[in-house]
Amino acid sequence: MTIPFTSADWNALVPIAIVAVAALLVLVVDLFVRGYAPRYVSIGIGLIGGIAAGVVVAGQFGHNYNAFFGGFMTGGFTSVFEEIVLLALLGSLILYGAIGTPDRVAGTTALMLWSTCGAMLMAGAANLMTIFLGLELLSLSLYCLCGMVDRKTAREAALKYLILSSTATGFMLYGMALLFGATGSVMLADFVNPALASSALFWMGGGMFLIGLAFKLSLVPFHTWAPDVYEGAPLPVTAFMSVATKAATLAVFARFLYAALPSGAAEKLLLPMWIVAGISMIVGNAGMLAQHDLKRLLAYSGIAQAGYILTAMAGGSALGLRYAMFYLTAYTFMNLGAFAVAAVISNDGEQGSRLTSYEGLAHRRPLLATAMTIFLLALAGLPPTAGFLGKILILSSSVSAGYDWMAALLIAGTAISLYAYGKTIFAMYARPRHEPHDPKPCAPLAWASVVICAVAVIAMTFYPLTPSNILPLVK
Amino acid sequence: MHHVMGVDGSYPLLVALWLLPLVGAIVCWAFGPQLKTLSGWLASAMLGGSFVLAVLSWSAGTQNSGGALGAHQALLSWLPGIDFGLLLDPLSLLWTFIITGVGFLIHFYSMGYMDGDRAYARFFAYMNFFVFAMLTLVLSDNFVGLLVGWGLVGLASYFLIGFWFERPTAVAAARKAFVINVVGDVAIMFAIFAIFLNVRSMAFGDVFAAVGSLGSPLLLTICVALFIGAAAKSAQIPLHTWLPDAMEGPTPVSALIHAATMVTAGVYLIARCAPLWSASHDAQMLAGTIGAVTAIAGAILGCVQWDIKRILAYSTMSQIGYMILGVGVGAYQGGIAHFFTHAFFKAQLFLAAGLIIHALGNEQDVRRMGGLRTKMPFAFWAILTGVLSICGIPGFSGFFSKDQVIYGALAHGHPWIYATSIATAGLTAYYMFRLLFITFLGEYRGNAESHAGASDAHHAHHAPAWIMNLPVGVLVLPTVAIGAALMWGGENSPWARYFAPQFAAVTLPAPPISELVTSAIVFMVVLAGFAVAWSRYATKAAQANAVERLRTEAERIPAVLTNLFYFDAFIDLVFVRTAQLTGTLIARILDPHLIDGAVREVVVVTRTAGAFVRSLETGLVRAYALVLAFGAACFIIYYALVAGGVH
Repeated sequence: MTIPFTSADWNALVPIAIVAVAALLVLVVDLFVRGYAPRYVSIGIGLIGGIAAGVVVAGQFGHNYNAFFGGFMTGGFTSVFEEIVLLALLGSLILYGAIGTPDRVAGTTALMLWSTCGAMLMAGAANLMTIFLGLELLSLSLYCLCGMVDRKTAREAALKYLILSSTATGFMLYGMALLFGATGSVMLADFVNPALASSALFWMGGGMFLIGLAFKLSLVPFHTWAPDVYEGAPLPVTAFMSVATKAATLAVFARFLYAALPSGAAEKLLLPMWIVAGISMIVGNAGMLAQHDLKRLLAYSGIAQAGYILTAMAGGSALGLRYAMFYLTAYTFMNLGAFAVAAVISNDGEQGSRLTSYEGLAHRRPLLATAMTIFLLALAGLPPTAGFLGKILILSSSVSAGYDWMAALLIAGTAISLYAYGKTIFAMYARPRHEPHDPKPCAPLAWASVVICAVAVIAMTFYPLTPSNILPLVK
Repeated sequence: MHHVMGVDGSYPLLVALWLLPLVGAIVCWAFGPQLKTLSGWLASAMLGGSFVLAVLSWSAGTQNSGGALGAHQALLSWLPGIDFGLLLDPLSLLWTFIITGVGFLIHFYSMGYMDGDRAYARFFAYMNFFVFAMLTLVLSDNFVGLLVGWGLVGLASYFLIGFWFERPTAVAAARKAFVINVVGDVAIMFAIFAIFLNVRSMAFGDVFAAVGSLGSPLLLTICVALFIGAAAKSAQIPLHTWLPDAMEGPTPVSALIHAATMVTAGVYLIARCAPLWSASHDAQMLAGTIGAVTAIAGAILGCVQWDIKRILAYSTMSQIGYMILGVGVGAYQGGIAHFFTHAFFKAQLFLAAGLIIHALGNEQDVRRMGGLRTKMPFAFWAILTGVLSICGIPGFSGFFSKDQVIYGALAHGHPWIYATSIATAGLTAYYMFRLLFITFLGEYRGNAESHAGASDAHHAHHAPAWIMNLPVGVLVLPTVAIGAALMWGGENSPWARYFAPQFAAVTLPAPPISELVTSAIVFMVVLAGFAVAWSRYATKAAQANAVERLRTEAERIPAVLTNLFYFDAFIDLVFVRTAQLTGTLIARILDPHLIDGAVREVVVVTRTAGAFVRSLETGLVRAYALVLAFGAACFIIYYALVAGGVH
């Protein structure tokens, strides 16, 4: 019997395979390297693997490949989401190199690479099995990563994440089973059948499936895990999680929304998602007001940002998806940049997350404060940053799709968030109450990622959004 | 047919030409302390490089193939309808020549004038930045890019007027200039909105091609908005009050920004938008009238000034009035010609005045000058050529361009504007010769010994004199001869042939008075102005008790003139006072009671909300799971209802 893998296009899997092999290499090489070197070797291999995969993905841009009998497809938006996930990987590996603990480097790096594999799998997943496979690969690695340091809060974060995430995954898995029961297929493409709109099983299944996605996007009221886990996890892991999980889940959601819904059912089926997105924009931004920790602040910010991105997709227009991807890319840079600043501030990783350590930063580290200001302005959506342009695009697409109320909530949420971001910016430029200790030397790579992110956030404002540039992104 | 878009294809040289001054600005700004006096050489070299590139671009900028004129370089496609690019056609090429060429001479001069200033490098960083901004303005191929340049030159002007920021008057002048210029920026922004709503593109080519489809009220609205911008930048009444105050900046700044280049941006804007103006007779009427009123008002005010730079400032305002009325009524070539010659002779006048100011230790009052012809013969001859040129003495450059404007007003059917500009020519001759006579003839009236030699004490070391004299000497040539070289010969002059493809030819009915007669009338009027100035300031009797006479003259100036036609008072009363009153009202009543109240409410609400959200964060997994279960239950109930509904 021949294995019926002829339809498989290995090209589709090459990027994921590169990352997975890099993870194995890290572990194997670690056995032979002694002393202080493992840190650089492991992270070096991880970076090379990530960059190689990124180059391959960039080369595949616009090509349609599929593997696993249509269970994994590239082309269209898959490549974009894969690149975003890889960016998150590179950014967080650099941060780990700058501030991570020297022990367990190989394990951490390998786990990061594997969770990247999971996220990339989700980016191209086109049937329920690959979605679940990718999701679990991502999540299982993240549970471990959260607990990879000897801190009580980290252990606690890992455990909380595991328990709550498993609950949500339970809902999702049950939803998948119901969807399979309703359709007799695991392929998302088969859900387009209009007859399904009258199947009760399909509605229940779809609803429970969406619960799982809402949890991963940390939309209110499925968001409760995010602040604690973000705060407890090591800083590089938080940086990775905040971007990669969101990107991968959004890819699945986009595939579900754009490729897999029976005509006429989409509006009713997705309404709860739009509602929780709307609530998230308000609650997430309001939650930022009372925070004293950068990671918690960014957790709440991330809750609201997920709401913004869903607002772009509301209505399901092709333009909306492009705008969502634009905003997600911008978000990647501003978020990674903010975490990179936190990493540069402190070598041990955790003190940089306290908001008090930003007081008077502009007097001690003017350039760093400038960069942080750019990131916070971008998160708040003010010009001249990509966050501003992204929000304008989101507003235009949601209003033209008829979701005015989401646009209104976005504006209200933005108004609330200005206070929180503004407070942080103000603290940086106001005189410090006490003169903190001398600035420590910092890793040049972390500095480089700060600069790259800041430049990207500004430069994306001038990203030429002509049709010829954004059309290839979709389908 | 107007050709406005460049030949397709790219012209990378243009990018280099445009960016060189920016590089200079960044380097001077970042490495000023290390470069020291080298920064002046560097900044000048950057402009010299740009000028050479502009010369090399001559054939590209004037090529005319397949209905497209000039060279074009695309830079960036942004939002749909907004593409950035650089366009070099005869119009922008001419401005580029002046900006980089005259700019180079003034930079060179500044190395002497600013020598010893403690912010020497910063000065050159600003100057180079200004040139970059100005090039952005004139090379842009679309309205948005033009507005970016427009705003940046305003910013550079603000920096440079307030360059000596320890003087309160300089800071006030800088602020005034900035505020009035922003009024213009906002007006242009509104024009851009109106254009974009109707044309859906910002490129000059697309907009001008769509002129026919714009209704005449809309076209007039756009033109008026653009003209407000032009008036603010080019110091046209009633937005002119900032220009005399702007003389607080160093003299090279006055020469480059507030005489030769930036203040002529309004002329450029109208010439660039010639298709819009040509299509709207009312807009032409407006621009022509405002230009003429500004020309004569500036000339009248120039007659009663005592500060040498302020005399030149009012004369600049008056001359720009000529340019605006020229391009405003449709005599585009004439208006631009006057910009071209004015750039030379006014830069010449300012730089020569700078020689005097520099030598006399920052003395600017002409009443305390006098008799400088023997002490500073070079400055005398330099100013004399400038005065002869600006008065339009036949043969000098100013003659050719001014007569084109004056005759153009008549040819385009505006007899009143024609008459006003002839009268202005007489006034110009009067106040310019007045300046010349008071400054250079008679006895020295200042406290001579303490100043003439004392400037050495001010500076630890001096840059060699030739650094300042050379640019002035070089400028004498175009001041005297460039008009005769380029504008002699009417339709067949090199000037007319250069601009023939740029501006549509229109056939006008022959005016009742011929060009030759016009020139003769103007010359008579100029002679009359000269004669009055001579009798009042240059005769033996006048010079005998000059100090006394000047003092009585100053006392007898009518109040309406010493108060500059009450423009400042009017603006102060209507806008400043009203704004202050509104501000007080808001600060005392509205803000504490209404706004603060509302803000306090919002703060309370958001704090409470924040505390509530935080109270859900108990840290207990079972509480989290409960919230999660609550959400899931809501989802499930919803879908159960929907599923029940579809059955």
